[in-house]
Amino acid sequence: MPALILENVEVIYDKVFLAIKGVSLEVGEGEMVALLGSNGAGKSTTLKSVSGLLGPERGLVTRGEIRWGDRSILPLGAPERVAGGLVHVLEGRRIFGHLTPDENLIAAYRGRSMARFNELREQVYAYFPRLKERIKSKAGYLSGGEQQMLAIGRALMTEPRLIMLDEPSLGLSPLLVQEIFGIIGTINAEQGMSVLLVEQNAAATLDIVSRAYLIEQGQVVMSGSAETLKSNPDVQDFYLGGAGHTDYRNVKHYRRRKRWLA
Amino acid sequence: MAYFIELFISGALTGLMYALVALGFVLIYKSAGVPNLAQGALVMTAGYAVWMVMSWGLNVWIAIPLAAAIMFGFGLVVERLLLRRMVGQPVIMVVMLTLGLEILLRGLVPGILGSTPKPIDLGIGFAPIIIGDVFINRTSLYGGIVALALVGASLLFFRTRLGTKLRAVSDDHVSSWAVGISVERAIGISWGLAGIAAVVAGALWGSSQGVDWTLSTLLFPAVAVVILGGVDSVPGVIVGGILVGVLGTVIPGYLDSIAGGSTRDVVTSLIILLTIMVRPFGIFGREDIERI
Repeated sequence: MPALILENVEVIYDKVFLAIKGVSLEVGEGEMVALLGSNGAGKSTTLKSVSGLLGPERGLVTRGEIRWGDRSILPLGAPERVAGGLVHVLEGRRIFGHLTPDENLIAAYRGRSMARFNELREQVYAYFPRLKERIKSKAGYLSGGEQQMLAIGRALMTEPRLIMLDEPSLGLSPLLVQEIFGIIGTINAEQGMSVLLVEQNAAATLDIVSRAYLIEQGQVVMSGSAETLKSNPDVQDFYLGGAGHTDYRNVKHYRRRKRWLA
Repeated sequence: MAYFIELFISGALTGLMYALVALGFVLIYKSAGVPNLAQGALVMTAGYAVWMVMSWGLNVWIAIPLAAAIMFGFGLVVERLLLRRMVGQPVIMVVMLTLGLEILLRGLVPGILGSTPKPIDLGIGFAPIIIGDVFINRTSLYGGIVALALVGASLLFFRTRLGTKLRAVSDDHVSSWAVGISVERAIGISWGLAGIAAVVAGALWGSSQGVDWTLSTLLFPAVAVVILGGVDSVPGVIVGGILVGVLGTVIPGYLDSIAGGSTRDVVTSLIILLTIMVRPFGIFGREDIERI
């Protein structure tokens, strides 16, 4: 039974700007799914429609349905959705810069039991041992990679069933991207936590997810298993760097071929 | 010399009384990230609330907690009716909104409850404490002690889990929502706490000068205190308060007779101006962390 279902979701910002035009996707329980696409394709908007964070940007889901398990989450506010097990790691990390890493984790913990908190905290530090070394300094002074780790760790404190990650690779070195993606894979495997990963870095992403959706100009234009997408010649050309055999005489074909849906 | 010492002590104690007013400003800034220019009127309203409850014939030590409960509720209502609409809007909107609230309350509350000065008797008495040649005002002395105690309590509060969540909210509203913190409720609580601080300030100031609209003019020295001490620093209100109080008492103590009065406001304004020019985030205020 799929855990998260988006059906024809349409989001309009400021009552005029149509950001996503009928996106449908599914993330099954324990599944690891990617949402790929270029800048401005509507990836972040899709995630925000699930986590309920469109409000501050004056966005609104105007059509469609979002279901989590067997109930619609559209009427719920952001904190209720987190309580229901959905958590969103925002693009650009957005950790609480003036708090220490520990306080970041405290702020995100929702339960009452101190023992459970310590357990979760130890788990976060086990995934990200680097954070433990920086426990005393303000989180704003951590490096980019450490902040990303903290952002993921903070999200784990809410005990989610589905974690949505918005471009965790942003601004990080390839080595760090590998490390962080590896940990995401571990969390997915060990805890059976579903993962919805939004990325521009298609090459690294398709290596760790099982399925992926490709979104362009607010519409899902392609979906399938990671293998299928990886072997698709269009995806190879436009997202995977042409697999090293770009024929620049045919670059003009780009425009003609980059139309999958009418 | 005794004159100087007396001015100094009285200034320091007055400054701590300013700190009581300023504390409400800092509580809101530190936990919601918004400047609250209605704190003067909040103190005035709280003073009226204490007087009102006492006029029902209740003892002052019952009246103050009751007034605190009323003002906590008042803070929640302000958030629900006014600030919730400001979510995601630029900070200047909140500044103008709270300034508007200040002006509204200044007119509305005395209009309803009466504009003649209302007495609040805390049972402190007016006889000064005399040490050598120096006279110390009893209300100010107790006010100063209460201010120190409240600041200590606030410091402890921000270390608790709720306090940590509130600080997180002041850091980043959107990522607070993203991890399930209810930003609306956090802002409501911070206004409620500022309401409670306002009751303490209103009761003490009200007992020394009576409750009427002039209590709301405490906003001006309070703003000087928070700018000097740092808008988000709890210990900053003590240091800023003492500095503003001492400078604002000692200097007029010598200059008023020459200039013909009212140099206190000039000193306060100069403190605000100089702080903003030399150290815009105040003595203890946090700088925004920017990584390059």
